[in-house]
Amino acid sequence: MPSSWRAALAAAAMSVVVVVPGTAFAETLSLWARASSSNAAQHMIDLWNASHDDKIELTTIPDNQMVTKLATSVQAGDVPDLISFDLIFMPDFMKAGFLTDLTATLSTDPNQAKVAKAFRDLATYDGKLYGTGFTPDVSILVYNKDLFKKAGLDPESPPKTIAQLQEYATKIKQAVPDAYGYYFSGSCGGCNIFTQAPMMWGSGATLLPTSGDAPAMEGPGVKEVLTMLKQMWDAKVIPESAEADTGANFMATFETGTIGMQGSGGFAISLLKANHPDMDFGIAPLPGLAEGQASSFVGGDVIAIPTGAKHAELATQFIQWQLTDEAQLEGLAKNLILPSRSDLADNKYFQEEPRYITTAQAVGIGQTPYAFHFNDMVNADQSPWLTMLQTAIFDGDIDGAIEGAREAMRAIAAE
Amino acid sequence: MVRALRNNVGFLYVLPALAFVGFFVLWPLLQLGYLSLTDTSLLGGGQFIGLENYIKAFEDKKFWQALGFTARYTVFITPLLMGLGFALALLTSPNRRLQQITRGIIFLPVVIGIGSSSLLWFWLFDQQVGLFNKFLVDIGLLAEPAVWFTKADMGLLAVTISITWKVIGFGMLLFVAGIQSINGEIGEAALIDGGNYWQRVWYIILPLSLRVILLTTLISVIGSMLAFDQFYIMTGGNPRGQTFTAVYSIYQSSFISFKLGYGAALSIILTAIILVFSSLQVILSNRSPSQ
Repeated sequence: MPSSWRAALAAAAMSVVVVVPGTAFAETLSLWARASSSNAAQHMIDLWNASHDDKIELTTIPDNQMVTKLATSVQAGDVPDLISFDLIFMPDFMKAGFLTDLTATLSTDPNQAKVAKAFRDLATYDGKLYGTGFTPDVSILVYNKDLFKKAGLDPESPPKTIAQLQEYATKIKQAVPDAYGYYFSGSCGGCNIFTQAPMMWGSGATLLPTSGDAPAMEGPGVKEVLTMLKQMWDAKVIPESAEADTGANFMATFETGTIGMQGSGGFAISLLKANHPDMDFGIAPLPGLAEGQASSFVGGDVIAIPTGAKHAELATQFIQWQLTDEAQLEGLAKNLILPSRSDLADNKYFQEEPRYITTAQAVGIGQTPYAFHFNDMVNADQSPWLTMLQTAIFDGDIDGAIEGAREAMRAIAAE
Repeated sequence: MVRALRNNVGFLYVLPALAFVGFFVLWPLLQLGYLSLTDTSLLGGGQFIGLENYIKAFEDKKFWQALGFTARYTVFITPLLMGLGFALALLTSPNRRLQQITRGIIFLPVVIGIGSSSLLWFWLFDQQVGLFNKFLVDIGLLAEPAVWFTKADMGLLAVTISITWKVIGFGMLLFVAGIQSINGEIGEAALIDGGNYWQRVWYIILPLSLRVILLTTLISVIGSMLAFDQFYIMTGGNPRGQTFTAVYSIYQSSFISFKLGYGAALSIILTAIILVFSSLQVILSNRSPSQ
């Protein structure tokens, strides 16, 4: 094309912009999501891109690199427009000033009030809102109905208390010697805060301290759950490999069909249906000490705008849009992903698979600990939380383990 | 005057290399040194706190336990790599036809990334689906599949097997180069004097390979002191942090606990320890006899 033509075309384009007020070029926003939730994020993005001129591009970040990537990008002043990350890091990120204040927008949005309470609590710092629910997951009890039948248990009646859980697990081990009643990843702090902690706080315990003198590992449930696990370990109801599992076999062991019950996440439904279509498994809330104390850990991802994002206004529009009925149902539920709004738990897409409804309802009753230094307290390989579990279950010193964790957690919280 | 000028011209020749080392090695090292004197967090901020991180490090039992384990791993794996590397160099020597093929096969794992090979061995050692366990049960060495990572010694052994498989080809290659550089006339003289194969290995090849042995030891010691990927992937530091290495400890402090300043102090301590070992070996190497 001759250069004079190109100049004429450019001038014409410029005149359109000048003549028609409000004309704007479509923008492309960047969204970073951690790998484990990028599939859900992609569904949302596809739905948005299909109906909006401004497009969103997804960048997947390995789960364990998200904190480093965000921290360095904020400090370098080169951030994405949107970021989806494990909600547990919300307190640390808000305190560090990494996120944009969204109070003005979200506090007046009627859909925000319907988002699971755990997300709303976690995204609040100093009375301000810095994000909201995006792609949740929640902990549940998954159990093998075939093993239940072999042990003479009713496959439609999962345990409602931790005493029943122990009883059923023991019966499974006795009836099927090659199988085990219960499984947990004994060297994975994150897996266990997700699956064992709800059994404790459902009974009234307070686990992680928010300051150096706040309660830690206190209340009913802590000692009882540890005692139950220790007794099952001693009785070899739990396989030996559990002690060394850093989470690599979190679901792989259950998938072998030799595990009666284990705490897991909502993701297990799709995983088991895809990998083991013949496996007959059930889903139930994680039990507490007494009936009616079931609880769960609300995990998954929040969505927020990093400080210094180039398209903060458009990004805010996306955040509001993803809370609408359309996005929650057509972007998430239609793809068998849990909505972050509790009021949409029982939706048309989950009707054919009641296990999704059970899981989605758990989002409404679940909690998420609000703690700074969560990684140090829980996820680190020698964290006080993990050390407590290992000392109590594998060494048998339950009281010493709780006391040790209490002291170590308070020291971390005081930093 | 002329001599000094000539030296200055020589200096100009090495200036690009010096600039490269200064920019990519010394400057980051200085930055690391400064970082170690602050309480900088991954989440931002950071004040100058002097030697506080170092004082804390010397009281940090977990770090010293990790250093102890790293030393144990180094002492365990280094002689193994040396002995096997030397033996393989000798064993693959006699038959010239098969030489290239066998050496090629043994060297092959060296080109695989350490992360990939560790993951491969992690699953090979798996209790339920691991082929290694199945093999040991089939040949009768194990009564039932073992859980390799519940005991520190078993974890150490598993990692040692995987790393030996991964790097032994490199050691072998260094020894092959060393052996081939020995003047053939010395061997021929020994042969004429009636020396048998083992006598030639013991009295000629081994002493004249001393420099290669020291070089291989240096590489092995530094590599082992910096071990991380293999333990991160295979043992996860378990059981109970007993297989934490020094670098694993630094990673934990910096990226899990977000304490960059403290992690930097631990890095400086580890660097100093490795420097001491390296210097000792370089001194020994310079004093060793050459052909």
